[in-house]
Amino acid sequence: MASHRSATFSDQPYSDPNPLPSSVPHVEELGTTSAPLKSISFQLGSHCKAVNDDFMLCKAESRDPAKCLAEGRKVTRCATELINKMRESCLSEWDAHWQCLEKNNQHFQACRKLEKGLNDCAFSKLNLSKSIPGSPDGPQVHEKKSPIFTRVQK
Amino acid sequence: MSHGFRQDMPPPGGYESIKYKRNLPIRGPGGVVIFGAVAAVCAFGFWRVGMGNLEKRELQREQAWSRIYLVPLILAEQDRDAYRRNQAALAREKEIMKDVPGWEVGKSAYNTKRYTPSTIVVL
Repeated sequence: MASHRSATFSDQPYSDPNPLPSSVPHVEELGTTSAPLKSISFQLGSHCKAVNDDFMLCKAESRDPAKCLAEGRKVTRCATELINKMRESCLSEWDAHWQCLEKNNQHFQACRKLEKGLNDCAFSKLNLSKSIPGSPDGPQVHEKKSPIFTRVQK
Repeated sequence: MSHGFRQDMPPPGGYESIKYKRNLPIRGPGGVVIFGAVAAVCAFGFWRVGMGNLEKRELQREQAWSRIYLVPLILAEQDRDAYRRNQAALAREKEIMKDVPGWEVGKSAYNTKRYTPSTIVVL
């Protein structure tokens, strides 16, 4: 008998079934995958700037997960709110863009046309614009008319 | 004045000159033009590489900020999960060590107020 083997299956991820203590208010997790999140990351950054900054300042004070649960809930609620708004007003543009990202290794430069549709929709309906902090003057990289880096395979 | 032979003489008008010069007609563009064209192509290429480097830097900036904007979201979710697992582990520890007098549940091994994440995960 190989007694040194652990009693758990190491090929399966360990999941703790215990729920959160009832003292912590419930918040629905996003469940959104990486491509849709990356697609609206700049809109998210401008929409939830206040709560995000608050949360990150709290995390800078203490890395303890128990300390910033309230701020973290606000962050998640704000993101849920934005996702619902985007689904209401720009669902088709968002879908098109994140599916393009999914097919192109999540490279922004491969999906500029669809990204423009999404950005225009988010700006006109939700008043959220994409702007990259620290960029030099002139058109930002996502606004370039003839970029050098596009899709690898046309 | 007949000598019975005829002196061999050059053809009238004289011999044609000896062809010692090489006869290579000049074709195509001159050396200066080719050199200039190569220099121009190289210059365009280097300019394009330079512009590409600038654009690549901006693409990296875009990528970095897109990730920075998603950090709070993911960190908040992770924190909730870590807190949930930690509370469950503490409850288990309390149940297991209930018969040991003077046992402090969840006491850190370090003498500090700083948050020290657990290095041991009990499965």
